[in-house]
Amino acid sequence: MDLLANLGHGFGVALTLNNLLFCLIGCVIGTAIGVLPGIGPVATISLLLPITFGQPATTAIIMLAGIYYGAQYGGSTTAILLNLPGEVSSVVTTLEGYKMARRGRAGAALSIAALGSFFAGSVATILVAASGPLLTQVALSFGPADYFSLMFLGLIISAVLAQGSVVKSIGMVVFGVSLGMVGTDVQTGQQRFTFGIPELSDGVGFVSIAMGMFGIAEIILNLERPEARSVMSGKVGSLMMTREEFRRSIPAVLRGTTVGSLLGILPGGGAALASFGSYMMERKVSKGRHEFGTGAIEGVAGPEAANNAASQTSFIPLLTLGIPANAVMALMVGALIIQGIQPGPRMVEAQPDLFWGLIASMWVGNLMLLVINLPMIGVWVKLLAVPYRHMYPSIMIFCAIGVYSLQNNVFDVYQTVVFGIFGYLCSKLRLEAAPMLIGFVLGPMMEEHLRRAMLLSRGDPMVFLERPISATMLAIAFIALVAMLLPNVRKGKDSALAEGG
Amino acid sequence: MSWAVGRRALLACSVPAFGGATRASAQAWPSQPIRLIVPFAPGGTTDIVARLVAAGLQERLGVSVVVENRAGAGATVGSEMAARAAPDGTTLVMSNIASHGISPSVYRGRIRYDAVTDFTHIALVITNPTVWVANRDSGIRTLADAAARARSASGLDVATSGAGSSNHLMVVRMGQLVGKELNHIPFRGAGPAMQAVIAGQVPMMSDSLPSASSHIRQGSVVPVAMASAERHPSFPDVPTFREQGFDLASDSWFGLSGPAGIPAPIVERLHRETMAFISTPAVRARFAELGGTPGTMTPAAYTEFIRSEVATWAPLVQASGATAD
Repeated sequence: MDLLANLGHGFGVALTLNNLLFCLIGCVIGTAIGVLPGIGPVATISLLLPITFGQPATTAIIMLAGIYYGAQYGGSTTAILLNLPGEVSSVVTTLEGYKMARRGRAGAALSIAALGSFFAGSVATILVAASGPLLTQVALSFGPADYFSLMFLGLIISAVLAQGSVVKSIGMVVFGVSLGMVGTDVQTGQQRFTFGIPELSDGVGFVSIAMGMFGIAEIILNLERPEARSVMSGKVGSLMMTREEFRRSIPAVLRGTTVGSLLGILPGGGAALASFGSYMMERKVSKGRHEFGTGAIEGVAGPEAANNAASQTSFIPLLTLGIPANAVMALMVGALIIQGIQPGPRMVEAQPDLFWGLIASMWVGNLMLLVINLPMIGVWVKLLAVPYRHMYPSIMIFCAIGVYSLQNNVFDVYQTVVFGIFGYLCSKLRLEAAPMLIGFVLGPMMEEHLRRAMLLSRGDPMVFLERPISATMLAIAFIALVAMLLPNVRKGKDSALAEGG
Repeated sequence: MSWAVGRRALLACSVPAFGGATRASAQAWPSQPIRLIVPFAPGGTTDIVARLVAAGLQERLGVSVVVENRAGAGATVGSEMAARAAPDGTTLVMSNIASHGISPSVYRGRIRYDAVTDFTHIALVITNPTVWVANRDSGIRTLADAAARARSASGLDVATSGAGSSNHLMVVRMGQLVGKELNHIPFRGAGPAMQAVIAGQVPMMSDSLPSASSHIRQGSVVPVAMASAERHPSFPDVPTFREQGFDLASDSWFGLSGPAGIPAPIVERLHRETMAFISTPAVRARFAELGGTPGTMTPAAYTEFIRSEVATWAPLVQASGATAD
């Protein structure tokens, strides 16, 4: 019953009026930056950090955490409504979410995104509270070889389960990985595929690719079809989910929560894999798998749950080891250190207010996000009723501003244009953008882990087969590839998909 | 960036307009948020110190100071970005022994900035010794253990914050003293490297003391040897390399720099505020706890110091045979 007492203590901290207020501010700001394309949480948190200086450490961290998961959630809104993913995790949401919006089910998609996130956040919060230190051990048991194989599995599955030809999607994954190689090699300092363009030495921008391939390409496609120049093809439709949609979402949310909670604890890359892993799982096992590609609610419910669960459990390495996994976490460590607190294994005993208050506030923050966002859904959906001739220039302008403001560099805007045109060509050629983006995100991490694993094994590739975790991942990847390629030769993959699972 | 920046920029533009100034001048600085580039991943010494300095400058200058991690290639990726930024005092970088001392030699021919002429060097912030730590269950407690492991068939893996860091050179030089090359495992910064050592993926690590100190205090890793002439006052129980029979010492340093051509008044103000901040009792105490000494050099002295560091390291890097490949 220690857990309950501790959580009770945490809620005592989180539910003070001051902390609630800062949690609310954090969630609202987070949602806002998530909705606006191109504005990342890091810049915002940095700018807002000073307003927490007069506040106790717990309050500051609660607000920062609110911004962090608020941004994760807000990104889904534009992904569903406008096919504009702002974050890695919301790329997946565009796949089914935007299709749902076009069918007039935007309200349902947004509702399940909010409800699924809330549920997953609640479960993950309990998980962090109950078994944080234990889960750290799981995270630590992943070595470079295991990370490599996990990411390799992710790429294979993304190619295998994409729509249409396996060969085409493998091609897109490979192209994505190659795009990820552009820039200065992190280990040797070598310039790769930069063609002497200085702007490319820092690599191709994720936001440029995502906005171009999804948002801009979609606009070009829409302009091509004069009769359907509306984001929505049908009428607005009911804002609420139907009973059927709700019933179908439940198992998807449960699976997404599991996948997300587990992958979230892996520092670096875990969270990026979570929403994608969940999407692939739903596509394979959910009851609505035949609807995938046309707007299946499971394809929104699962990944949204996974993404939120992962963003909660990714706090575990920070809280128990004191090592930040990403820039947002580093900011939080910075905020703690300014207040004289060193995060790490002793924080639970030394700063129980902070530790349990933060955990309780995670749940409070999720509840607030639900309260803020559910009433907003009606407003968001009305946005779709705006005539397309007004809509698309606004989207273009917002994209341009968002991309430009990343580094105050016009080159990023040009990049977005190039990817917009490329994205349009890809849709014409039935090449899917999602596997390419996943390749782009996972490729560089895979390379880093591959090199490190090979350095540690003195160049012996057997390390990938000797480590049990790695060997299991590779075996699954191999089976998935063979299972999909074999029937593909004879009768095409879509029928194979229908038979599988 | 966000609306907050926009609004501030707008305010900043409108105020000098009344004074007749048409362009942002040194008088108007600081009016916009300052970006402080950390050329390593979060969690290392550069990052820890940068976040302290950012908080201090923020309070003293009255504008936000945003830390941005740009890791890779021995801290040269982030430093190159800073070298190319506009010299208006809104982009700064944590210059350090890797990016502005050793990497220019280790990444020779690939690095696209001059550590001296492409920067305005502002202040030396902290110097500190290097410490070697081991995983708790690695069985390594002394340098003799480490040397024995290195000479065994399996060899010894040593993690560092990256090729081109002072730790990289330590690994190479230690290998020469042991008589068997150590297996250097570079990371994007001390944060991820430390995590791999705590997890036991790599048994040993060479690290700047400030990033290792909290992990040593918490008992997550075992300190094996301090690469300083004398035992460190904050860690009197940790023997030096020399005491254990290996004649090695290595200090690393971290400072504040910006692109070449920052106007003198801005440099002067940044230097003054940084010095004032790092000599406050609270920061001195914090530095002592981390295991570092605050710097005292003038901007000119710091520039000279970097010039001499680049010159000193070039033959040492060549002699050691250290490369980034």
